[in-house]
This record gives sequence, C-alpha cells and structure tokens, in this order.
Amino acid sequence: MSSFILRRLIQTLLLLFLLSIVLFALVNLAPGGPMVGLGQNRRVRPEQLEMMRRQFGLDQPLPVQYIVWLAGNDWMQVDSDGDGLPDQPGQRLGVLRGDFGTSINTRQPVLSEISQRLPNTIYLMGITIILAILIAIPIGILSATRQYSRIDIALTTFSFAGQAIPEFWLGLVLIIIFYAWLKNPFTGDPLFPAGGMYSLAGSSSLTDRLWHLILPVITGALGWISWYSRFIRASLLDVIHADYLRTARAKGLSERIVLFKHALRNALVPLITMLALDLPTIFSGAIFVELLFAWPGMGRLYYQAASARDYPVLMAVLMIGATFIILSNLLADIVYAYLDPRVRYE
Amino acid sequence: MKNIQKVILFTVVAAALFVSIAGCAPSPATPIEPPSSITIVIPEDPPNFNPILNDTGYDGLVMEMTSMGLTDIDADGKVFPELAAELPTTENDGVQVGDSGAMEVTWKLRQDVKWADGTPFSADDVIFTYQAITNPDTGSWFQGVDYLSDVEKVDQYTVKFFYSSVYTGYLTQFGGEQMSIWPAHFCKPEQGFVNWDCNRNPLSLGPYTLKEWVEGDHMIFERNPNYYQAGKPEIDTIIVKIVPDDTVRKQMMLNGDADIDMWVKEVVIEDLKKSDKVKVSITEAPRWVMRIFMNQSQRGETSFGMPHPLFSNVLVRRAIRQAIDVDTLTKGIFLGYAQPVWTEFFREPYVCNIPRPTYDPESAKALLEEAGWQDTNGDGIRECHNCGTAEDGYVMEIEFGTYAEFGESMTLAQQLVSEQLKVIGIKTNITQTEGSVLWADSQSGGIEQSGNYDMDMWDDGYAGVDPTDFLWEYYSVEAATPDYGYNFVRWNSPAFNDLLGLSYTLDETVRKDLFCQMAKILDEQVPQILLFTIVNADAYSARLDGVHSNANDLVTWNVADWKIVK
Repeated sequence: MSSFILRRLIQTLLLLFLLSIVLFALVNLAPGGPMVGLGQNRRVRPEQLEMMRRQFGLDQPLPVQYIVWLAGNDWMQVDSDGDGLPDQPGQRLGVLRGDFGTSINTRQPVLSEISQRLPNTIYLMGITIILAILIAIPIGILSATRQYSRIDIALTTFSFAGQAIPEFWLGLVLIIIFYAWLKNPFTGDPLFPAGGMYSLAGSSSLTDRLWHLILPVITGALGWISWYSRFIRASLLDVIHADYLRTARAKGLSERIVLFKHALRNALVPLITMLALDLPTIFSGAIFVELLFAWPGMGRLYYQAASARDYPVLMAVLMIGATFIILSNLLADIVYAYLDPRVRYE
Repeated sequence: MKNIQKVILFTVVAAALFVSIAGCAPSPATPIEPPSSITIVIPEDPPNFNPILNDTGYDGLVMEMTSMGLTDIDADGKVFPELAAELPTTENDGVQVGDSGAMEVTWKLRQDVKWADGTPFSADDVIFTYQAITNPDTGSWFQGVDYLSDVEKVDQYTVKFFYSSVYTGYLTQFGGEQMSIWPAHFCKPEQGFVNWDCNRNPLSLGPYTLKEWVEGDHMIFERNPNYYQAGKPEIDTIIVKIVPDDTVRKQMMLNGDADIDMWVKEVVIEDLKKSDKVKVSITEAPRWVMRIFMNQSQRGETSFGMPHPLFSNVLVRRAIRQAIDVDTLTKGIFLGYAQPVWTEFFREPYVCNIPRPTYDPESAKALLEEAGWQDTNGDGIRECHNCGTAEDGYVMEIEFGTYAEFGESMTLAQQLVSEQLKVIGIKTNITQTEGSVLWADSQSGGIEQSGNYDMDMWDDGYAGVDPTDFLWEYYSVEAATPDYGYNFVRWNSPAFNDLLGLSYTLDETVRKDLFCQMAKILDEQVPQILLFTIVNADAYSARLDGVHSNANDLVTWNVADWKIVK
C-alpha cells in the first residue's frame, strides 16, 4: 500500500507539472488581457502598456513567462528600464519556491490574497457539506427502506426539485423571503441577514455567526442533500435484496441490525468515495452562493480574477484547485481500498 | 421508531458539529459601535486608492474619502480648488503663455492642510507626486502628460508647471476623479508609483482615514481629526460593504441596512422611488452618451484607404442615423431617464445649435437608394447596385456589437436598433463581448483597436468642462493609430483636424467658435451617431442630507458635507 501511495504521489507531481503548462497556456490564450481596465474611461497609451507589461514580465515570450512563473527570475538578468538590455536580476522566486507572484489587479502577493479567502470558504463549504451528508443519510435510508411508500415518493420529489433548483435562484428567493419580507415581530428586524459572515456593528458572537450561516448553508446544501440522498437510496436498494442480507435475516437477526450493521456498511462505501471526490469544492468554493451572500471566499476571488484577467491570481486558484482534485482522487482510492478488502492496488 | 431515534441523533450530532466549526471560524475584525455611522454598498473591492491605475470607479469612491487633488469638478462641471488656494487663470497671472507658445502654470497652495499624521502638506508633495508619476520605469500615463516638460518649487506653498505648448486641460490635470496628491514623507519612491504600498494603505489628507480593510467583506473609514475644514466631516464612521449582487444591494437600501448604492440603473430607480426610506440623486448635467461607431475601414484594417463596403459612404451613415427612433429607446427602454442628444456640444459652456436629426425611415431608405443599395431580390435586405464601395450584389449585412457588462437595457436597445435597421433593409447580427476584450489594446487582441468590427454601440463622455482631449481621442487623425486613441472608426477630416489644432488656446471666445464649427462637420460627416445620455444616479438613505450625484466624479466627491438628519 505504501509503495502504491508513493507511486501515486510521484505521478501526481508529474501530472501537476503538465497541468500547469496547459493551464498557463489556456489562461494566456483567452482573449483580452490584464492590461485593460473594466471601464471604457481608462485611457492608456502604448508607452504605458509597454511599461506595465515590463513591470509584470508580460513582455517576455510565453515559455519564458512560464519558466519565471515556475522557477522565478532572481537567477537571471531582466530588462527593467525597457532599453532591451538585461540590467539587473529579477525579484521573483517562482511557484516552486512558494512565490505565486503579484496580483496585477491589486499589486498584492497572490498568496496573501488567497490566504485571506481560503479560511472563509473552508468554513462555509465545510459546514455545508457536513450538514448535507448528515441530512442526506437518514433521508436516503428512509427512502430505501420504505421504497414506493408515500414518504419515499415525497422525498424523491423533494430530491428532484432540490437538484433542479439553481443555487442563484434559490438564494435570491431565500433573501427576499427571509430578509425583505419576513420580520421579527418583536424587534421589526429582518429574520436573517442579507449576507456577509458577521455583523460589523455589535458583537460578532457565535449566535451572530450562525445567524449569518443559515441562508447560505441552506442554499448551498440543498443540491448536495438531494444528490447524496438519491445516491444512498440507490446504493442501499442495491444491497438490501442481496443474498448475504437474506442470510442475516435467516440467522434471526433483527431488522435493525440487518439494516445498520450489514446493509448500510456496504452501501456507504461508494458514498465515501464520492465524498472524497467532492472534497475539492470545500476549497474552491461555490461562486453563486458567495456572490449572492457577499461571502468573501475563493469563488468570488476566482470570478473577479477571471473577469479582470488577473493571470497570477487565476493561475494560483486553478493550480490549488487542481492539486486538491488530484489529491482527493488519491484519497478516494486509498479509502476505497481500506474499506473494501476486495480492492488491492499492488 | 428506531429510525426516528437515529434521525434525531444525527440531527443532534449535526448541530453540535455545526456549532463547533462555527466556533473555530476565522476571527472577525474588532467589532465597533460608532456614534454615527453610515454604510455604502459596492459590488467589488476597490483594487487600491489610486484610480489612475485601474479606474474601476470603486477606487475613485474610496480615493475621494481619503485624498485630495489640486482641484476637483462639481456636479455642474465647474472646477473648484481643493488643495489649491485659487484656480490659476490668465486673469490672475496664474497662467502665462510665452511667445514661443510655451505655457507656465503657477499653483498657489493652501497652507492650512495637514496629512493625517500631522505633517503639513506642502509644495514638496506636489513635486513628489509629479516625479513619481512621470518616472519612465515605474510611473503611469495620465492626461496631458505629453505637454508637461518640467516642474519648479517656487516656495513652500507655490509650484510652477512648465508646458511645451498650451494645454487646455491643465486645471484638472492634478485633480478630478483620478488624480490625487501623494505624501512625500510617507510613500516610498523606490517602490514606484504603480506598486507602492500607500496605494492600498494611504496616508489620508481628506475627510476620512482608512481604519480597516477586510478584503471581499468591508472597509471601515473614520473621520480624519486633522481634516482642514473645521467641524467637518460630521459623520464619524463610513463602512464600505462589498455586496456583489444588485438585487441584494437594492433590498439592503430598502431595509435601511445600506445608506448609499452608487450607479443605480433605471429599473432600480423605479423600485427605490416607491420607498420613503430611499432617495435617488440624479445628475442634472449628464456625461455619458450612448453612441454608435461605424467602422469606415474594412474589417481587420487599421489604416485608411481600405474603405468599408457600407460605412465608408456618408449617405449610409446618415441613413442609419435617420432610421433609429431615439425617443422609443429613451422612453421605452431607459424609462425616460435618458435624454436625446445629437451633438458632442450639448453641455455648458460649449453649447452649439445643431438641429436635431429627424426619425424618418422613409428618407433613410431614400438615402440608401441614392447610395446605390437596393433590394432587387425581394428578401428585405438590400444589395449593392453600383454603390461604389463594394462589388455588385454585396449584401447589406453587418455585425452589430456591444459590451456585455452594461446589462439588460443595453441588450434591449441593441435589439430595437437592429429591428429598426431591418426596416430600412440592413441586416444586423447582434454580438456582445466583455468590455475587456472589446476595448483591449491591439496587442491583447482588442476588437475595436484591431478594427475587427462593423458597428458597435456603447457609452462614453468626458469629465468636466474641457472637451479638447476627448475630441482628440475620438476624432483626430492621430488617434486612428491603433492604441493611441479611440478613432477606431478611422475617420479622417483634415478640416476637423485643423480646427482641433487651433482649439488648443486659452481664448474662450475663439474656442466657442471653433467648437461650433467642429459640431457642424461632425453633424455632416457622422463619424459617430450620438443617441442619448445615460443617467448618472446614486441612491441614498432618506436619513442622509447633502448627497449630490456628480457625473464628473464619484458620489463621495463631497462626502465631507454629508449629514445624518434623523
């Protein structure tokens, strides 16, 4: 097993390297560039464009830009005054040494931009996914054990609706109902805040934070709940009529032990794999939820960087996302092998 | 029953986890309970406090709270002194033009202004700013920089700028919505104007200082105790909250959780007007004009001499102008907030009497017939028959583009114009592109700068009272060189260029006359079709007094005068 993990980790590094080349090319091939502002009011002269390109190293050919991004330019001479002659060593260390460069939009180190956003996203998405699973499992079990009953039909309808409702619509409807329409009858305040992570005025107590979590978590979790509960229902139905369960019942075990000890344990194995594959979302965030609820997370950072063509930020977010996807795939494989003795990777 | 127990157990565990995770969440900033505070909601973080660099509007909004320039422009378009003690003019000998045509501008500065740390503001700061921004390696381009040659410190509170020739925009060159003066003792010149730390962490000179900035969430500004106007500002704290969604911002205004929402659209104004908690300030003197650009060169050509099959003929351009029903656009789509405009010279002090073109599809059709475009095969689309600019049989079909960010009203306007052009036999294929692609420089693949378009529609206008730079950028032959300006319709009128050259003078009577001669040429030649002004409106809470929308600047231009009335 450990040699398998080691092999996979080496493959991961290789894959990330190749992926970084593809992403770098794709990001740079998109039309437009970081040198144009968002407003038409911006007047820029070619001389200034050239100066700015030089300042951000965008005047170099793409392969050179990639090498600088990867390995920095402090070991080579760069042309800092635009006379065509390299005159002083560069200042960048490169991604390999932990320097993701400087945001073109804010002129801040990319890593400091990301470190401000990442905890907020993990906080929101972590709670959303944990809650979704905790709700989805009982729903799935109920649906499967009472297949075709009224409650199953009701839950199935709910699941399909949950999967079909887009997040941006649901979130907006929730805000309009719970922020704009419904008021606390005692204070006259809205039932829930319109967005943000905490109140600025007053205390940012635990209650206040929970208060701010409820609407975005519901918006984000509904789709997951529907999806996971359908999945659990299907996978439980797969095993519920299996021979080994008939054996268990024949032994005289109670239905409860049959269900929870024998059926559920086997039915949940594929769920855990799925969960591992969904883990990257916890880090990449949900763009619509973050935009609607003014949540300062990674999704919005990505959205903003993409519209401003902020290449260094875009690359960092994409690479972090890619790393998490590859690592969670690896995790899924390991967990699967651990849970299912039939799976061996040697 | 057992299942239900499990469900309850799960719920309890869920709640426990929920609470425990919520407890370890990243800790928020220090809570504040200010004596008087208002909240401004904007959709995205300002990139910094230096609007020259990005100009997203949000940078200007926060810059106006912390900084000042030598001058600024009020809502009527009048320039007023900020850091300057008075406006330099030829009358008060602040401006002198030598025999060689070189110009000298002497600025007398206020002597009672201090930076937030107590250091007095002086001529050194002005010279420091000039030197930082004109540094060839780390500086930035700004309007009129090509005319500036040098600067001299006359005394502690007097600065003299030298211009190689007359530059009429000198009054707002170190002020207005983009430029501010930077502290010589605080900003580090070795970091460079575009990158220095004080762009994000400025030392205040204006009514407010930045206390806290949690990116993506909020900024907190507190009143600057060293602000030079005694007793101002009245409001202690201004919170800028980042709320990306338009609808949510509108709801926050209606709920009283937000006090200012800038740049509100027509439909939102209509919604907000119904509430007695919210008021909307609309600029009386509008700036942005919706306009149609018709490429007179062939697609993909950036030089003159390769005429566009349709638009190189002035008759076609005039026909399109007559085919568009501007009143339906302004009333039906822009809900009456847009005002029809047909010349660049509709703003004081340069108002020229140009008769309004009539909406008349029949005479538009006649113009197209005269130009040699007829529909002989009966499909409703005209073809070239001896049109002189294309081969016979060339179909009158063009791409009609705009930028995607403007929103729904632009989409509707585009569709309506497209239908109206179809009535006179021109087929248009509608496209929408991100502004960053449409307006990018030719090297970055900018659509307009590389000439890869037929007809585009979007809005632009100039701040303040001096149209000279704006006219140069859109209509001069030099501005047709890719990336040097916005004459991407590739219009070349020697007569106009001559008049424009002469307008670089300080003699107002001469300028007025020249501008109206230009207006006539623009009306005859139709390099652009001007349609209507776009409303510049800011929503504010009814508890606020003194908010005054300004098309020449951001809503915070007079933030020091705001009051809470109840």
